[in-house]
Amino acid sequence: MIPLAPTDYDAIRLSLQVSLAATLLSLPFGFAVAYLITFVRFRGRVLVEVLVNLPLTLPPVVVGYFLLLLLGKHGWLGSLFNAAGIRLIFTLKAAVIACAVVGFPLLVRSMRIGMEGIDPQLINASRTLGARWYDTLLTVILPLSFPGLVAGSSLMFARSLGEFGATIIVAGNIPGVTQTIPLAIYEYASSPTSETMALSLCIVSVAISLVVLFLHESMAKKMARKN
Amino acid sequence: MKNIIRMLISLFCLLILAAPAVAGDVNLFIAASLKEVINELSDSFARKSPGVKFVKNYGASGALVKQIENGAPSDVFISANLEWMEYLKNKNLAEVSSIGNFTYNAMVFAGAPGKASSMRDLIKLERIAIGSPKSVPAGKYATEAFKKAGIDKQLGKKLVMAKDVRECLMYAERGEVDGAFVYRTDVLQAKQAKMLFTVPQELYPRVTYPMAMTGEGAKNRDATAFFAYLQSDEAKRVLLKYGFSSR
Repeated sequence: MIPLAPTDYDAIRLSLQVSLAATLLSLPFGFAVAYLITFVRFRGRVLVEVLVNLPLTLPPVVVGYFLLLLLGKHGWLGSLFNAAGIRLIFTLKAAVIACAVVGFPLLVRSMRIGMEGIDPQLINASRTLGARWYDTLLTVILPLSFPGLVAGSSLMFARSLGEFGATIIVAGNIPGVTQTIPLAIYEYASSPTSETMALSLCIVSVAISLVVLFLHESMAKKMARKN
Repeated sequence: MKNIIRMLISLFCLLILAAPAVAGDVNLFIAASLKEVINELSDSFARKSPGVKFVKNYGASGALVKQIENGAPSDVFISANLEWMEYLKNKNLAEVSSIGNFTYNAMVFAGAPGKASSMRDLIKLERIAIGSPKSVPAGKYATEAFKKAGIDKQLGKKLVMAKDVRECLMYAERGEVDGAFVYRTDVLQAKQAKMLFTVPQELYPRVTYPMAMTGEGAKNRDATAFFAYLQSDEAKRVLLKYGFSSR
């Protein structure tokens, strides 16, 4: 058995919690944005595409810093929330937001690929048969793009598990509260006496990632067979 | 195409030829709280002996020790506690005869005025920044003080771990935490955060900065000269100017 401190178990739990929350939170928005980009022709579509994909290429630290400016005690969203008695910075909420922003492009990308794979004739047929746009959305587009949705969610979940740069800036490193696996490893890694602790948490991290990716692959295969 | 390949090859050659450290360099591994002092001392030393180039690495003492242990080129190491110097000594990475005390400091609590005035008040606060005790001496001193004051359990989930004492101070500066445990001298560098109270000395061991040359450093003539300069009266004056105590 690999040695783990109580705060390490907290870190594992928090990592899974944050990743799951970020993915679930992003699903409706991701679906809406993917739908918008794929099916709706409007001005500034390229701009939306670029903005959505921006976190993919930006250093996560930059995302984190922008979020800090936005959500910090003196930030314009942060001060609004503060007035409402909600504290964002250095809480688990901030960690979820950071993961949601950083992982969002992955989600949208996979969903788009799923939606673009739908035969447009099926959509047109449903419309000519009298379906409203939301009928088409729920009964044609959603089921047919489901593989993309699942693939995107699992990718985003995996990405969130590894989120470090943005998280450490907005959520801080509070053991048992916001310290996720990468943050705990980072703390161990800078201490000469914590070599084995760092290593055992690394092994846990690899194991979780492997499980998620295997699930992702097997699901993708299953979907491909179905189609 | 040919040009591109030639360019890539020359770029590659440049990369592998770039030597990590030049012989004339003096590599300083210094506790983060000494940043301004060492900057000033190394600048004035460099003015007196041109040709000496300093490579300065500031950070948590524990993190610096880990880097040295893993083979980072280093000549002079100053820690913010005795523990990490002891660790380096036990690994045979410090020149034992060179080990001495550079200066002393004290722990304070800094933040926005009115937040707290004693250790007891900390329980009421929401977020307190300390250096990660695993590698940051200031964090270790702070946690020891919490234990002695009997408030470590209540503070458990309020502590934001910073990577070094200066990050700790920055959290307090930006007002993202209610306060931070830093050194007395750090607060002098702050613009927003004010010193709210000094941590009673009976709660933690005295903040001592031991200094040493590494094995490599002892062979580096410039490093030896700088090491001697650090113990000069001039250095003591600079330390005093930045609020450090010589005794």
